[in-house]
Amino acid sequence: MTRIVSPRLAAYAGLAAIGLLAGLVLGRVELIALAAPFALAAVAGAALAREPDLHATLALDRERALEGEEVTATIELSSASGADRVDVLLQLPRALRAGTPNPRSVRLAPGEPRTFELSLQCTRFGAFVLGPLLVRSRDRLGFTSWETRLGGREPLRVYPNVEAVHALLAPYETQAYVGNQVSRAKSEGVEFADIRNWTPGDRVRKINWRASARRGGGLLVNEQHPERNTDVVLFLDTFVDVESDDDRGTLDMTVRAATSLAHLYLQRRDRVGLVSFGGYLSWLTPASGTKQLYRIVDSLLQMNIVLSFAAKGVEILPPRALPPKALVLALSPLLDQRSAAALLDLRARGFDLVVIEVSPVPFVRPATDELSDLSYRLWRLTRESLRARYEQAGVPVVEWVDGVPLNVPLEEVAAFRRHARPARA
Amino acid sequence: MLAYAASREPRLAPLVSGIGAVGAVLLAFVLVRRTDELLPWALILLGSAYTVSLLVHGSSVDGGAPLVAAGLLVCAELAAWSLDERHSIAAERAVVVARAAALGALVAVSTAASGLIVALSLAPGSGLAWTVLGAAASVLVVGVAVRLARRPV
Repeated sequence: MTRIVSPRLAAYAGLAAIGLLAGLVLGRVELIALAAPFALAAVAGAALAREPDLHATLALDRERALEGEEVTATIELSSASGADRVDVLLQLPRALRAGTPNPRSVRLAPGEPRTFELSLQCTRFGAFVLGPLLVRSRDRLGFTSWETRLGGREPLRVYPNVEAVHALLAPYETQAYVGNQVSRAKSEGVEFADIRNWTPGDRVRKINWRASARRGGGLLVNEQHPERNTDVVLFLDTFVDVESDDDRGTLDMTVRAATSLAHLYLQRRDRVGLVSFGGYLSWLTPASGTKQLYRIVDSLLQMNIVLSFAAKGVEILPPRALPPKALVLALSPLLDQRSAAALLDLRARGFDLVVIEVSPVPFVRPATDELSDLSYRLWRLTRESLRARYEQAGVPVVEWVDGVPLNVPLEEVAAFRRHARPARA
Repeated sequence: MLAYAASREPRLAPLVSGIGAVGAVLLAFVLVRRTDELLPWALILLGSAYTVSLLVHGSSVDGGAPLVAAGLLVCAELAAWSLDERHSIAAERAVVVARAAALGALVAVSTAASGLIVALSLAPGSGLAWTVLGAAASVLVVGVAVRLARRPV
């Protein structure tokens, strides 16, 4: 515990000394009478000082919450010797807002623990560690105080809300395992695909008796599209973040979109993987299930922009992170040349690639002079040219602006993919 | 307190009021700007205003000195309390009551001690040096008593 003596104690002692000296020099008893209260206060202040034996615990009612939800922190304070005044502060990140007073002052009776609750409003997603508590105890007149940190550290993960998306993008090709996506291949399934001539080994129940009778000349059998799962890799560009003053930014939008997409694809029993391509490279190999959803969201919450000048390409990623026939859904502000080149490289390697351009334009401050305006227009033109390069390569690029639902760019991509298909060599 | 000091010597009322006013302005500045290091200087100026009136008035002992002393202490303590509350901290009622009670007790004991000093100086055969010694001893006794009362059992 750090002991802090108020400068008032020294000031009172000084005032008392001045009064006593002046009284003696000037021969006036009134000045001694003036000095006496300050001397008394200084002595009483020093005598009242007693280090409190404080104990504190901090507990949260849960470790995980959704944006907009309320979490309750319970603080318990106790002191064997009692304390006249204890100030308690739980330091909160900007994303959490206290609904009840924080800090607050309480009086502790000897040996009697005090418990109070602090409601925390989760205003933004993130991974946080709350605590320890900042505790300051003061004597009754505030001459001496003791400061310390008490209580443990409590983790709290606030997950972003999942945006409602009406239709997800379907990959061109499906994987081998059973899922909800109707495959383009012909095999056992529910959806009717085609009719073909009977071959030895075909089951009797597959014979289309009506078609066989109408056509004559042999038996015909039905073929179906099988239901298969798909692999989706969320490719996040984390080289650069452009954000506004209110913490909204391209990374914020990227994390929100990735959470929604991961949640919805995993709900469809698809396998979802994650690649964070930036100054700090990380990946999660595609998998399915709730555990994978938590893995992805936890990874997204810890995502940060790390400044790096190292040249990076997709070749440094392990092959399992980008399985063949996977739909690569890239979320990028298209600001860093390395990620732009990596995406083109992915397309060249034959991946089914979709680029959702998380537009940094709304977060850029408008130009104030002619030169800034000119550079701003040049920057916009460069972005247009990059977009054109992607389109030439057969990659759908859709701009997603802050405030627009995620449905809109996904619908645009779906429209693009209905009319344009990547050419196969 | 200023009015009392100024009214004791009407001839020097402007000077006493002037010194006191500077002290009061400095105290207001301390409270507004929350610069607690200037608080002793404000108290010294306020005390000086009283001292000037005391010296000019004559050699008779001022019976109101204990009240002036208590007023100065209350002024200093309330200013310090106000400065302590500069950060908005929601304090429960018991905390405020405890400090107010402690302040009241301190002021009452201080007034009694000052009154005792003034009364002792008026007693026949008492010298100033003995009064100072007596005041110091009484302060020390009170301090020891407070310390013993606060010692945990």
